[in-house]
Amino acid sequence: MNPRAPARCRALRRAFAGGATLLAGLALLAGGCGGGTQVIETRPSTDAWTWVLPAYFPAPKVPADNQMSAPKVELGRFLFHDPRLSGNGLQSCASCHHQDKAFTDGRLQSIGSTGELHPRSAQHLGNVVYNATLTWANPSLVTLERQMETPLFGEGPVEMGVNDANKDAVLQRLRDDADYAARFAAAFPGESTPIGWPNVIKAIASFQRTLISGNSKYDRYLQGQATLSASEERGKNLFFGEKAECFHCHGSFNFNDQIVHAGSRVVETPFHNTGLYNIGGTGAFPEPNRGVFELSAKADDMGRFRAPSLRNVEVTAPYMHDGTIGTLADVLKFYAAGGRHITSGPHAGDGRANPYKSDLVTLIDLSEQDQADIVEFLKALTDHDFLKDPRHANPFVAR
Amino acid sequence: MQIHSLTHLTLAAMAAAALTACGGGGDDDGPKAVTLEFAAYAGATPVKCGTAVAGLGSGAVEAQIKDFRFYVSGVQLIKADGSKVPLTLGANDDWNLTSGSNAVTLIDLEDGTGSCAGTGTAATNAVVKGTVPAGDYVGVELTMGVPFAFNHSDYATATKPLDIQGMAWSWQSGRKFAKIEVTDPAGVAGTWTAKTFNFHLGSTGCTGNPASGETVSCSTPNRMGFHFHAFDPTTQKIAVDLKALLAGTDITKNVAGAPGCMSGGTDPECLKVFEALAIDWKADGSGTGLPIDEGHAQTLFRAVAK
Repeated sequence: MNPRAPARCRALRRAFAGGATLLAGLALLAGGCGGGTQVIETRPSTDAWTWVLPAYFPAPKVPADNQMSAPKVELGRFLFHDPRLSGNGLQSCASCHHQDKAFTDGRLQSIGSTGELHPRSAQHLGNVVYNATLTWANPSLVTLERQMETPLFGEGPVEMGVNDANKDAVLQRLRDDADYAARFAAAFPGESTPIGWPNVIKAIASFQRTLISGNSKYDRYLQGQATLSASEERGKNLFFGEKAECFHCHGSFNFNDQIVHAGSRVVETPFHNTGLYNIGGTGAFPEPNRGVFELSAKADDMGRFRAPSLRNVEVTAPYMHDGTIGTLADVLKFYAAGGRHITSGPHAGDGRANPYKSDLVTLIDLSEQDQADIVEFLKALTDHDFLKDPRHANPFVAR
Repeated sequence: MQIHSLTHLTLAAMAAAALTACGGGGDDDGPKAVTLEFAAYAGATPVKCGTAVAGLGSGAVEAQIKDFRFYVSGVQLIKADGSKVPLTLGANDDWNLTSGSNAVTLIDLEDGTGSCAGTGTAATNAVVKGTVPAGDYVGVELTMGVPFAFNHSDYATATKPLDIQGMAWSWQSGRKFAKIEVTDPAGVAGTWTAKTFNFHLGSTGCTGNPASGETVSCSTPNRMGFHFHAFDPTTQKIAVDLKALLAGTDITKNVAGAPGCMSGGTDPECLKVFEALAIDWKADGSGTGLPIDEGHAQTLFRAVAK
């Protein structure tokens, strides 16, 4: 048993894992077991938008100054897929966020519009509306609107490559398109000049908030509409159990541990060092990928990254912030070993002994069969409808 | 007739108000206009984009300026008795913003020519202009930085001069307080192993509140306070000394951290740079980011004759 978890949490976790008393269990789990969040039963919504969610998904948080509407979401879908939004017109958001990969790109590290290699791997966007912080390790980025300034305007690395010299020209491309004029007018009624960067960002953020993934085999199982295979069932029990302890960081309805929603009051934003590196035994991670340390310069923050949601994890390879683990089987090996031991090269060091490693990541006695079963369970988190939902697809293909 | 006299009264009141607003028409008791001028220097030599600058860094190498912009706030004039009076900026415009009790000015000493063409802009601004109440002032105190209340606003929606993308710092959801960059004068054919030495000053260790969607605090403010006990803006200007900023740092290579000094708490290229700023920085990341002794020992800014 894990002495760190209060008995109440352990019991509820089992209730969740078993699919019994699910809603109540989740509500208490989220509220009482370290998440610091609170699930509410009534779902605030505006007249303009209705969320369609599994019963155990809380109502998403939407900023007061960017309410949802169907025209805004649809405009955001066009902008998300439009390469005209980059400085040189060569790259759209979707260039690094492919729908068939849950909106990541399959690369170890992504490549920006000017060819610059990004130090990190593009993140998937499934259920991104619930992320309390955005990107891999940035406690200061807490809204999708602010996050978007990084890919649009960032200089190190250049992603979309919009800058002071071309930002008006990029907007002019949109103004010159009569279709966009109509779409911006519909999305931002009453505004005399709706085509501008604030509204571009608001529309894309609204589209991103609709990227809800809650129809995997596991979701249908929770709703009594599907049966898990014997291997998936064993994997589920290991995942939520005290042996593998995956749930500590991946235990919410969204299979991560940083959740914000409409009813959130206090939101905790944990970041974790999982022992991926330990250069020269100093605890160091390779620059410029040292996690929260890059922002805070605090030793304890070395190698701390946000635990990503594991929904659709089957299609989001390669794994980790720098894409250095290629398969789910290898991810399981990595966690079973309690870290990664790199024996040669510039990053040599025993990550298992990283002094800043989370105390939740330890040597686990997981047989090969155990690991294979957990992988099978993780594959049951793939929402195949989400990966081809026409509401999220590239609208320019069909035009 | 009552209407007529009311009109007279109103006109008289308006005239009085107009006189007050215009500074009393030369009356010595009215507000006093102040212009603080900045200029880019390397040591005693004025420098600009497009002309190689000699003698920079520990190797005394030649470099081209790539950017030279910074925000100034918290300007106060100092009286002989040591008391301080805030400067009231002029109307909000491309370079100045006052909102509530906060004010900021963007100083832009690059003109977008030469190596500044990549990121710079043609427009420039070398001055902070404002007014103070009548009185005798002997010195001036300033901050290089953006007030916290302004620093974390959205770039996309922000009011001028906080809307400059080049000064945005999405890394910490804030702004670069200063963006001063020098580059290898021989370009790709040159011998610098890191082609550009970037100095970006800004608050670090920032965290947001996901429940409110706002940035709530930064552990390391990195706002540079500096002052001149004796400063006459009519005969003097403020030199921004590139040579002092880069003194003791090898600007041709990057030992670790971001290329140059981007305020990283453990970036070795920040050690000497922060000494020049007189901001508390320590190699182990434990620096407070606060001015040391009110910036007395800073070497970046210097009063020189106009």
